Amino acid sequence: MSVRDLLSPFAAWKNLFRDPVTIIDPLNDRPGAPRYRGFHQNDMDKCIGCGTCETICQNGAIDMLPVDGIETKQGDSGLRPRIDYGRCCWCALCVDVCMTKSLTMSNAYTWVESDPDAFRFTPGVDKKHWDNAELGYHRPEEHQLMAKVRLPMGEMEPETRIESFAEIVNGYTIEQARLEADRCVSCGLCVATCPAHMSVPDYIAAVRDGDYERGLKLLYETNPFSGICGSVCTHKCETTCAARHDGDPIAIRWLKRHIMDQVTFEQCRDIVGGPRPATGKKVAIIGAGPAGLTAAFDLAKLGHSVTVYEAFDKPGGMTRWGIPEYRLPYARIDQDIDVIRSVGVDIRCNVRIGKDILLDELHNSYDAVLLALGLQLGRATRIPGSEHENVRKAVDLLRQATAFEDFGPPRQAVVIGGGNVAMDIARTIARLQKKEFGRVQVTLTALEDLAHFLADPDEVKEAGEEGVVILDSRGPRQVVIENGQVTGLKTWHVKAIFDEQGRFAPSYDETDEQMHAGSMVIEAIGQMTDVSILGDTLTEKLTWNRGRLQVDAGGRTSEPWLWASGDMVRGPDVVSAVADGHRVAQSIHEMIAETEQPK
Amino acid sequence: MRELHTKLKSLFPVGDLTEQRSNLGFVTVPQEHLRAVLVHLRDREGFTHLVLLTAVDWLEAGQFQLTYLLSNRTAGKDLGVRVMLARDGATMQSIHDVWPTAATYQRELREMFGIDFPGSPRLHEEFILEGWNDIPPYRRDFDTLKYAQENYSERPGRVTHDPAAHMKQKLNSGGN
Repeated sequence: MSVRDLLSPFAAWKNLFRDPVTIIDPLNDRPGAPRYRGFHQNDMDKCIGCGTCETICQNGAIDMLPVDGIETKQGDSGLRPRIDYGRCCWCALCVDVCMTKSLTMSNAYTWVESDPDAFRFTPGVDKKHWDNAELGYHRPEEHQLMAKVRLPMGEMEPETRIESFAEIVNGYTIEQARLEADRCVSCGLCVATCPAHMSVPDYIAAVRDGDYERGLKLLYETNPFSGICGSVCTHKCETTCAARHDGDPIAIRWLKRHIMDQVTFEQCRDIVGGPRPATGKKVAIIGAGPAGLTAAFDLAKLGHSVTVYEAFDKPGGMTRWGIPEYRLPYARIDQDIDVIRSVGVDIRCNVRIGKDILLDELHNSYDAVLLALGLQLGRATRIPGSEHENVRKAVDLLRQATAFEDFGPPRQAVVIGGGNVAMDIARTIARLQKKEFGRVQVTLTALEDLAHFLADPDEVKEAGEEGVVILDSRGPRQVVIENGQVTGLKTWHVKAIFDEQGRFAPSYDETDEQMHAGSMVIEAIGQMTDVSILGDTLTEKLTWNRGRLQVDAGGRTSEPWLWASGDMVRGPDVVSAVADGHRVAQSIHEMIAETEQPK
Repeated sequence: MRELHTKLKSLFPVGDLTEQRSNLGFVTVPQEHLRAVLVHLRDREGFTHLVLLTAVDWLEAGQFQLTYLLSNRTAGKDLGVRVMLARDGATMQSIHDVWPTAATYQRELREMFGIDFPGSPRLHEEFILEGWNDIPPYRRDFDTLKYAQENYSERPGRVTHDPAAHMKQKLNSGGN
């Protein structure tokens, strides 16, 4: 026997003063490990009901259900996941895929009930004792299943693009588009936000599969202006994309553009499928913009004979005469419109209603007439000096620029306005100045502060890069005229744009006055419809609502033969006009069908 | 760990060493040398304990990866020995005579991945999947959801809603 053997029993004595490793109350006091995948928690403030948890669940354990008190709204389906614990295997894929990180797992793992249906529950709604447990499985950063960052869109450098009106963005390559499409979880929250309710997840899936014919077919189901929208859509869908909660929203607009980039005109024409058998009914449409032409497309496909009257020498409306070529090349407009023509729509340009043909004549010789006039007249600031001939409207100048008319671009210009039209004219003038004088001198003044500009942030950023000086919170006071020449614009600092009742009533700090030099001042503060073509008698007969024609949900005016759609009744962008065109075509078609029915 | 790797390399055609931690490394060996490497590690290098034997399905590459995790308890070191197998008709020599516990792992791998280990005891007896009627479930081409839907009934009263369709009905009804 060694000394060690003698002493070792005493070594155990030291354990007398240690905490025991055994659990004193093993039935009650045995928490799950810190990252244990126990019972689910769902943060109701974060959950958007996108249903990706349901989609990924390999056991079919999750259902999406409406919940009392949770409303369906833009970006939130109002549904919440209910989990069937008879099927769940606690693999945590639902937690890993959760787009908002609302779904987590607590470390609780004991739950006793006599009713088996109790184990089918909606975490976060059905209150449980583990709802506020801090420990448990939360998705670690490296478990991100979807790439967070949007594939960057290649575009021309500012120094290059200012030299011409060439298109700025390149469009995605097939590889880039697939990677971007791969980020989409196909939840479909965006569909409700899109005014035309385009089937976004489905066409993104078509990009993923490289099946551009299928993608194109899906685009044409809801939007005959997909080529145009792929370039210049206001893409409100991206503001409700589930991916934006933990990363960049999917580049939905660029993926739509990618489909259009991959197909030919012939494919588009074949997909929409030519003129339909004639019904013998005739519809006249005034204005060949997105609203008028969408309605024309739908009605022609239904077999009605459609004639579109356009005052200008080319169709397209504001997409052609308003949006500059560097954002939307004219060939893309032509292609969309040629497809619309291919279903039998007859577009007659250079016909002005009231001059070349009277509205009454249309009323007499057509079954229905649709006004889709758009917003062609620029609004005036009416500030002192604004009646000068070198105070111009942005819409007029943009139209002249499109027609390659020389309106005498100024060496130094001041733009009033902070919307997309203001950016369009500022950047158009910048390009013309660069060509003519070799340098850009455009100052843009807007009422809004930079955070609240109405223009797309991309537009503001790009205008700045191109040398446009952007001044926010500046209210126009006076156009300064010296010796009969415009020399600039005086502005005051804006304290507030709206009054306490929320009405538009800017208040200024008159002590903060600035002078912005320029030989031309351009007003870009909004547009209105030229309703003079309606004539006095009809104008008197029609019902108006605050200066706008009053229409019902289908776009019908108070006159049973007359409809109105697009920007003139509801704005303010291409895709809204497309949606309105569909609505109004449906309404006209229903009227025609009703009159066909013998009573 | 590096020393051991150098030594192994001089004796067998082993691949590069991946050191996950200072006391945990991985090496890949050709299938036909596995047994010799394991016996050498057990008898000469003190890796007396087989911690586990597991597999990964590299579906796209058409391969299974087997990992034999060994432990040298005295030195406090673990070494994972990996073998890549062709996925089609996957077969591997049994090592139940090197470590009897391997038989259980091999039986599990046969059931979950469909990898054959000829000669391994009780290999074809059911392990945990009683009455299994499909391809081995740990193969990545096994569709778990489809299997669940086809083989298990739903509890009555289950109903679900598609978010996009639900929003269309709630927000856009009356529109197109």
